Order: sequence, then C-alpha cells, then structure tokens
Amino acid sequence: MKPIVTPLTQALSEGKLTRDELRDFMVRSDGPALRLLFFWVLVLLATGSLIWLAWDSWLIWPAMFLHGIVVVHHFSLEHECVHSTVFRTRRLNKIVGTICGLIIILPFKHFRYEHCDHHTYTQLKGDDPELIEMPKSFAGYLYYISAIPYWRAKFTELAMHAAGHLTEAEKRFIPKVEYGAVIFEARAMLAFYAALFVLMAATGWWAPIWFWLIPLFLGEPVMRFVRMTEHVGRPTVAQMRDNTRTNLVSLPWRFLCWNMNYHAEHHYASSVPFHALPRLHEKLKDHICVEPDGYLGAHRDILRQLRRAPHG
Amino acid sequence: MADETWSDLVAVADLHANWVTRVDLGGRAFAVYDAPSGIYVSLALCNHGGADLCDGYFEGHLIECPLHQGAFDVRDGRPLDTPATRPMKTFPARVENGMVQIALPARRQRQ
Repeated sequence: MKPIVTPLTQALSEGKLTRDELRDFMVRSDGPALRLLFFWVLVLLATGSLIWLAWDSWLIWPAMFLHGIVVVHHFSLEHECVHSTVFRTRRLNKIVGTICGLIIILPFKHFRYEHCDHHTYTQLKGDDPELIEMPKSFAGYLYYISAIPYWRAKFTELAMHAAGHLTEAEKRFIPKVEYGAVIFEARAMLAFYAALFVLMAATGWWAPIWFWLIPLFLGEPVMRFVRMTEHVGRPTVAQMRDNTRTNLVSLPWRFLCWNMNYHAEHHYASSVPFHALPRLHEKLKDHICVEPDGYLGAHRDILRQLRRAPHG
Repeated sequence: MADETWSDLVAVADLHANWVTRVDLGGRAFAVYDAPSGIYVSLALCNHGGADLCDGYFEGHLIECPLHQGAFDVRDGRPLDTPATRPMKTFPARVENGMVQIALPARRQRQ
C-alpha cells in the first residue's frame, strides 16, 4: 500500500494541531445531532406550514422555494452521515443518511463511495468525481446554478445503476463487494418513488408533490449555489490550504449546512463531527483559505475570476 | 511461534492512554492500540487508501481511517465497515517489563 500524506497528518507534523486536540475534536456523541434535529423538524414544519397557509395564492411559490431551501439541505446531513460523524453509532449514521438520500434522491451508498475519492483527489481534474468545474462564461455559471446539469447527471446515474451498469470510474471508487449493493440501492429508490406516485394517483393525495418534490426542485439551485463556494474558483491543485474555501456565514446558514461552511477544516480532518468544526476553525484559520464574506463573497470571487478569464 | 521473535516496540508509559499511538520500528510504521481488553498492534497505514490510521478515531476496539472512515477491529484486523474490505495486518502483542512487544517473523527481524 502506497502511503499518502493526508492534510491531517501534515497538520499534525507541522504542529498546527496537536494529537490531544485532534482526539478531543473527534469525540462522537449523539446529543448535538439530536438537539439540532429537533430544531430541524421544527423549521421543516414552519416552512411547510407557510405552503399550507399560502395554498390558494401565488405566494405558494415563494413558500415552496423557502421550504425547498430547507429540504435540499438534507444533503448536508447526508454528507455528515457519509463520514459517520453525526451520531456515535455507525448504524444510526447509515439509517439517517439513507433517509436523507431518499428525500433528496441521492442514494447514500453510492454518494459515500464517490465522496471517498473526492476527499482523496480534491480538485484534481479527472480524478475528483465531485469536481465542479469553473464555468467558462456567465451563461455557464447560471446554467450550473439552475441545477439542470446536476439533475440530468443524477437521473442518468440513477437509471444506469438501476439497469445494472457502473462506469469504469465508479468501479474504481466502489469496492467490488459493493457493486451489487449500489445497484440494489438505485432500484430500491426508483421502486420507492414509483410506489409513492402509485399511492398518490390511487388516493388523490398529492401532498408529497407540493410539500416535498416541487420544493426540492425549486430549492436545488440554492444548494448548487452553496456547493460552488466550497471549491470553485480555488486552484485545481492537491494542496488543501489552496484548493478548498471556508465560508464564514450567519447562524441560519450554519444551522442548515451542519457547519459544512467550515469546509477546509472538514477536508483537513473529515473524522471531526460537525459540532466541533467551529473549534477546529479557530485552530486552523490562519492556515487555510477563509472567505469572510460568506457565500456571497465566494461568488463575487468566482465572478471576478470569470470576468478576468480570456473569452472564446 | 518458532519462526517469530518478540521485539520491543514502545514503553507502555509512552502510549496515549485509551487511544492509538504510532511507533516506527525497522522502517515500518505500527499502530499500537490501548484498548479496553488489552494492547493490540497493526500496521499503521490503512490498506484501503494508505492513510495513517494513527490519525483516526479510536473507540472500543474500532479504529477508523481518518481519510475515508473505513473501520477495522483492532483485535483481529477484520474490516468492520467499508470502504475497507480486506483485513488489516495485525501482530501478536504482549507487555513485558513495561514494554509493548510484538512478534515479528524472524527472517524479517534479521533484515
């Protein structure tokens, strides 16, 4: 096995972080996640209620958009579960991560294995399966944020997996013993949604469309906007202090994204749970790229680079 | 055991209590685990992605790789969670006169 020097090993050897501090940061506990999930459900109920209150008016569309912003952030929880850091037991992480994946149509196992390579090859074109390329034009920038290319890629992926096909790239990051599980997972997800639509058609109960699926598609551009801030516009190099951006955002956004705005810290030490990332940030903030103006500041940076880039 | 020789690895006093400690011996890196049921030793590098397991999360008898969160049982090296799928290399370990010793193949030790 060829040894690799992870950013974490590097940070420890350079004294940016002591082993005792790392051990303290990595402690797993159910409490913080259960508390956050309590408020999470309250927020979902609140934004869902807005849809109900706006039922007979055009205001239902902004209400569904607002609710959708919360719904798409199940991605952040699923992402944390991928790292087995939300809850103390790995089984609970998998259960909650699978439910989140079902809500946002992102199969958990496949995302987990894909995400492994994202952490190994962050921002390396051709190797990082989650790399979002720097747009070549303003139209390309808007097109990405529209989430059209995202959904096209995800639905194609789901259909291919359900049909029993994995790409050569996927066969590299999915353990061979898990090929069947990834295919089963895609089929199970399609079966779930097919059953849901049959149920809705048979009963005339269309609430999932208005309280879940339309908000999901309306909200996904916000998730694309957020995901772009993590790496887009940063150098496509292996050095973690360069290739990843931490965004300082307000409490509501930190709540929604499970502190994943501390993205560089997460890449340095992906075994550190979401609730310890602000403390890890205090240790690493002088060694990483920090965008003090948050998501908007990151997009200003991206657009600035876009304007400077040669056209044609 | 006839083909193995016990070698001093690290003083028990130098271990991180209830945690994992990295020790280099003969050009190889070992992970020494202070677990609830005793001391266990494995190679330090994860056999999935090559990351240093000594930087990972350790609880009970489970060591988790810091890079991809694959997991192993430190007692016998069996993989507990993907993406780790192959057993990690473990070594018989004992404590003698305050030293953690591991059994290495005699031929390798002479090198």
